Amino acid sequence: MLILLKGGRIVDPVNGRDEIGDLWIENDRIVAPPPGGVADEVHDVSGKIVMAGAIDIHSHIAGGNENIARLLLPELHRGEGPHPFSLPLATAKWSTFETGCRYAAMGFTTVIEPAVPPHQALQAHLELSDIPIIDKGTLTVLGNDDFLLSLIHDGEGPMAVADYVGSALAASNGLGVKCINAGGATAFKYNVRSFSLDDVVPFYELTSRKIVETLQRAIADLKVPHPVHLHCNNLGIPGNVSTAIATIAAAQGKPLHLAHLQFYAYGDEGGHGFSSGAAALAAAVNAAPNVTVDVGQVMFRQTVTISSDVLRQFNAVGTASPKKSVISDGDANGGGIVPYNYRENDFYNAVQWACGLELFLLVNDPWQVFFTTDHPNGAPFTTYPEIFALIMSRDARAEATARLPQEAVATTTLPSIAREYTFNEIAIMTRAAPAKLLGLKDRGHLGVGGLADIAVYSPGEDLAKMFRFAHLVFKDGDLVVRDGRVSHYRWGKTLKVNPGYDKAIDRRLAGYYDHHFGASRDLFAVKEHLLPRADAFSEVACAR
Amino acid sequence: MSEARINGKPASLAAAAERAAAILSLARMPVVAGLGTDVAGARAAILLAEKLRGAYDHMHAARIFADLDVMRQAGLMFTTPNEARLRADVFLFIGKDLTKIWPDLLERLSPAEIPAYDLAREPRKLLWIVPGRGGGKVEGLAVQTLDSSDLHTALASLRARVAGKAVYGAKGTLRKLDEFADVLKNARFGVAVWGGDGLDSLSIEMLHGLILDLNKTTRFSGLPLGVGANAAGVVQTSGWMTGFPVRTSFGRGFPEHDTWRFEATRLIESGEADAALWISAYDGEAPPWKKNIPLVALTAPQTAFAREPQVCIEVGCPGVDHDAAEFSRETAAIVGRLASQPSHIPSVATIVGEIEKYLGGDA
Repeated sequence: MLILLKGGRIVDPVNGRDEIGDLWIENDRIVAPPPGGVADEVHDVSGKIVMAGAIDIHSHIAGGNENIARLLLPELHRGEGPHPFSLPLATAKWSTFETGCRYAAMGFTTVIEPAVPPHQALQAHLELSDIPIIDKGTLTVLGNDDFLLSLIHDGEGPMAVADYVGSALAASNGLGVKCINAGGATAFKYNVRSFSLDDVVPFYELTSRKIVETLQRAIADLKVPHPVHLHCNNLGIPGNVSTAIATIAAAQGKPLHLAHLQFYAYGDEGGHGFSSGAAALAAAVNAAPNVTVDVGQVMFRQTVTISSDVLRQFNAVGTASPKKSVISDGDANGGGIVPYNYRENDFYNAVQWACGLELFLLVNDPWQVFFTTDHPNGAPFTTYPEIFALIMSRDARAEATARLPQEAVATTTLPSIAREYTFNEIAIMTRAAPAKLLGLKDRGHLGVGGLADIAVYSPGEDLAKMFRFAHLVFKDGDLVVRDGRVSHYRWGKTLKVNPGYDKAIDRRLAGYYDHHFGASRDLFAVKEHLLPRADAFSEVACAR
Repeated sequence: MSEARINGKPASLAAAAERAAAILSLARMPVVAGLGTDVAGARAAILLAEKLRGAYDHMHAARIFADLDVMRQAGLMFTTPNEARLRADVFLFIGKDLTKIWPDLLERLSPAEIPAYDLAREPRKLLWIVPGRGGGKVEGLAVQTLDSSDLHTALASLRARVAGKAVYGAKGTLRKLDEFADVLKNARFGVAVWGGDGLDSLSIEMLHGLILDLNKTTRFSGLPLGVGANAAGVVQTSGWMTGFPVRTSFGRGFPEHDTWRFEATRLIESGEADAALWISAYDGEAPPWKKNIPLVALTAPQTAFAREPQVCIEVGCPGVDHDAAEFSRETAAIVGRLASQPSHIPSVATIVGEIEKYLGGDA
């Protein structure tokens, strides 16, 4: 099947294209214009913008904590009514099925679930299997696991750690490693109530800094494309911008991704003891080309915070709205689910909102800053269209800023920032750069041989509307969305790495599980045949 | 191969599936009940319920909601058996049937062993709130017990004493309460273990309050033992598929959840539901309702019914006859369970798939 997208504005930064042109698709790939070729299907996309399918590197769409949040808050996702053309379970709000539909409607074709603990991996992959259309991937959470901490404590050296990390990635089918408040969750089990970069985990006598360094080395040794994806210490605390800056310095030039940086962009100045530190933080990012960040933008509405940073979530229980939270001292990290209502007239929330936009606009290189709300922590991913409008339009920002408490705005640099993202920069931030960061060579661009994951938008005055309802979306060359409506389900792959490691560690781990846990490690492995569809995974090569 | 019956007479699987589809699609309000099945079976059954515009429920829903209703009204703190085994210096057991609910409980938590990750590495303390005198016993460990013939009062009094508030009672009882409160407050990582029908939502909410109070100064968490027939796994599956736990209906074309309206037995006894699909793959339980409505049963072999179902198809036991993903109490997670005695008896998911083949497009 040969498809022609005719006469659109092709925005493809990887191949240096921003021009009116044609795009040819054959089966699941983008192909060169066939000589004298006649398309089986022609879409006139003149006046439209054609980009690669968008990639979200950090969105909590599956796994135990996410599902507890669903069960904790039935009142937040009541159905709105029947839909005449509904696909199976697409009317189920916040279900895996709806998640795939909503992402696809916005032109997103790959989404990474960034926090899968090895012992919850099977459930996460079962949930991902029920997300239609998009491709998925998971990051395996390490850094509070007793086996790793023991290895480091006992000075076993980088080879043993790399073997263990390789084995954990293989058993959980992860695409990379996430580290969440390294050591903090374990310290909390020893009744430690605050934990920073150089604080020491009781029992193991290790600092957070040491744990992160060790994981960075292991990821480099295993040649996993995605650098360590770090959730820093001290999330959400006034003055924590110094922690984030110290963490960037601690990376010492080695690759590191800092997640949802907005939550670490806080100063402690002013009458409220809370201010924006985003400008200084953006400057630190600009000076550290080894570091990438995603924003974790806050938007004003009811949401729920879901995090494996159990220490932080426990400390936030008092802010819960509605007043109920779940705190789990799970294996290794555990986690916390704390519902929260971000309010436009709240001083602190207004500063948070502004901090996120400052980071978007003050980090100069769109290859370095990624588009996220840390769904659903800053806001649900369904707010993305509004955020695109905010970063692409100074007027839109001015209008939104005018509604905020002005004393909050005064602690930020936001009103002085004139920058407006271009479509080319949006394509870098949401397509090209995520593909590069995750090592996905087959997507994020519109070059010949690339996967035919393509989003076509109808530009107009209303930028949010443009991004909310893509005109056309192709997944693997299959037209699945027309004017924001999903026409049918198809089932994407889950991307994973398969780094080589010395299998001797598996035997050692088997013994460790039998002795310590009294339970077989094999119980936790993600066995592909237990997932609903065959061929669920697609391997991403390890080698930088 | 699977045994199938139509009105008590042996039938081919295809004929039974066709008859089942006819019964369920003719119903105005069918209900999928029992749901004693693995993740794959629950998945298939929920998709089928949507197609049929019916409701679905689990046989142990009352027990599920004793815990879940507390969580969604007040919250929850919980830990895993792994963490309890490796860290807990104090166990607080609540309920008399804990080792009946989970026969491996003591082996798994090893209360008589020193916790591997405790800094002080001292012998654990085990407190047991249990009705009557004598109470629970654990080999190799002195167990302190508190009589809980009135569990609400026992938990409320204990919580009050932990918070330093006065309670009224006999001297001996007060002394015992204070001993318990003292141990709890001095725990480094305490774990409360509860389960069984003796605990209602009020008790569990009081316990949750106690755990929250203890966490003001020390660490304490909970370990609810839940209930069998993969109830937790089915609730999790239901959660990601529809956003809601069981007792959810598609009657109006989108999922609605209501623990009273969509209770299977109530729907059937009241006449609101007019056909049922009953699933019990683990224990071969028969439906609990008395009313005679058209019934399709997918059950373990040898299930004894009070009344022969219109269609009965035997299904294999998850993790025994076939590999399965199911919630495991020993790890508090969904795990992969390989078949211990692989057989050719089909799974619930397979049979639901067979029934769906005969439903047509607009069931």
